[in-house]
Amino acid sequence: MTSQTSNDKQNPSLEEVSNTLAKMIADKMDIDQVGIKPESDLQELGLDSLDTFDIIFNAEDHFGIKVPNDQVKITTLHDVAVLVHQLILEQNK
Amino acid sequence: MVNSSHRQRVVITGLSVVSPLGNTLADLTLNAFGGNSGIKRLDAPFVEQLNCKIAAQAQFDPAEHFTKHTYSMLDRTSQMALHTSNEAIKDAGLVIDETLKPRMGVFLGTGMGGAHSIEDGYIRLYRDGANRIKPFTVLMGMYNASASAIAIEHQLTGPNQTFSTACSSSAVAIGEATRLIRHGYVDVMLAGGSEALLTYGSIRAWEALRTLAEEDADDLSASCKPFSDDRTGLVLGEGAAILVLESYEYAVARGATIYAEIVGYGAANDCHHITQPSVTGQAATMQAALNDSGLAAEAIQYINAHGTGTKLNDTTETNAIKKVFGAHAYDLSVSSTKSMHGHLMGAAGALEAIITTIAVNNDQLPPTINLKHPDPECDLDYVPNVSKTLPRLEYAMTNSFAFGGTGAALILKKVNE
Repeated sequence: MTSQTSNDKQNPSLEEVSNTLAKMIADKMDIDQVGIKPESDLQELGLDSLDTFDIIFNAEDHFGIKVPNDQVKITTLHDVAVLVHQLILEQNK
Repeated sequence: MVNSSHRQRVVITGLSVVSPLGNTLADLTLNAFGGNSGIKRLDAPFVEQLNCKIAAQAQFDPAEHFTKHTYSMLDRTSQMALHTSNEAIKDAGLVIDETLKPRMGVFLGTGMGGAHSIEDGYIRLYRDGANRIKPFTVLMGMYNASASAIAIEHQLTGPNQTFSTACSSSAVAIGEATRLIRHGYVDVMLAGGSEALLTYGSIRAWEALRTLAEEDADDLSASCKPFSDDRTGLVLGEGAAILVLESYEYAVARGATIYAEIVGYGAANDCHHITQPSVTGQAATMQAALNDSGLAAEAIQYINAHGTGTKLNDTTETNAIKKVFGAHAYDLSVSSTKSMHGHLMGAAGALEAIITTIAVNNDQLPPTINLKHPDPECDLDYVPNVSKTLPRLEYAMTNSFAFGGTGAALILKKVNE
């Protein structure tokens, strides 16, 4: 899905996580990644709750994390990136 | 408003297919009446692992019709159904306004629903050792996903139901939709079926039933040979076929072009055996359709047979036709177009209803191809190998029978006015 290296996957920066998620969203929604900003509201990009589940599912696979059900919400790209990044850090502890 | 005291006439005003014989009515007509087979070597990465390497595949690329976001959330069966419904609405010249939306519904048939999605999930779990599968698996695999996608696309708030009676599923869907219009519950229905079961697992399951045809040594496209003594079985197919049905009054009021009228629908279960058909059950199905139409058996001029190309089906159906039609069985014509398009399972009845509609429109009977060595036990006119003209083809029947025993027969009438 992305060209991330294994090192990127294991210890990515918040920006790298955000970029990876943006690529996933662009691929799924068939839109230009350039238009996806950290502050972009996922709903406004056309994602519904099921689309978000799909993105989270792919992110879980990609980064080897597990996002708890109660934290899967439609918010901005930045919010999702922070959540995923936090889970990666916790996992790497 | 429900008006059950006055029986509405039900007419066919739109047709569309994704089929092994083409994805336009022009191609379907050319091939089904030209005796061209859509049976080929299966184009799939796992083909070499199979014993049966032939199938009647539809040439359908969802990317040509939908955005990636849309098609990636639909199983192949729903992709084909949604595209076919869009084209059927266009073919009918139907404008779906706010008044029509609650008066229009969708009845579809499917035998195995989202087979590709279910199998993809199992591959991930059991072969690849993953401990979870994609979030859309339930939504893509469920049998009513196609009908739901169509309703959402066109905002059709009328009745939306999915029928699963194996090989008769879409004939049942058309028949039940006909009844809904006839009794005034709705004005317009999208009715038909969709099937996409050419997966490794389901083909293996069919192989185990020992009903699949062997490859013809000289011409693999000639491997399905209904009513022929050298038959070896059926050929699996895939596709979607959807009809626009509406009340005659609604069609006339909007100036629609009418292809044909549905004047009879009969359904019955043979209660005999999970796979073996019975003369009694098949005859009861055809008789029920005749009773529904009020026609004498002698009125029927052509029957599009279920005609799978198995010995048991061919002889049972032939004897059932004789039981219902008596001496007239030898006057009417019967053909199995499955010899060309294979067995589309849950979409078979609808595809054959569309071919029968075209027959009634054109006074032309599609052939049973590959009928080179007539089975002595099958001694009716099966329109062998080449189509034939039947001037003033007024009434035709199309039969669908099924594993599980549910038979369905539809009677179509030419509309002259």
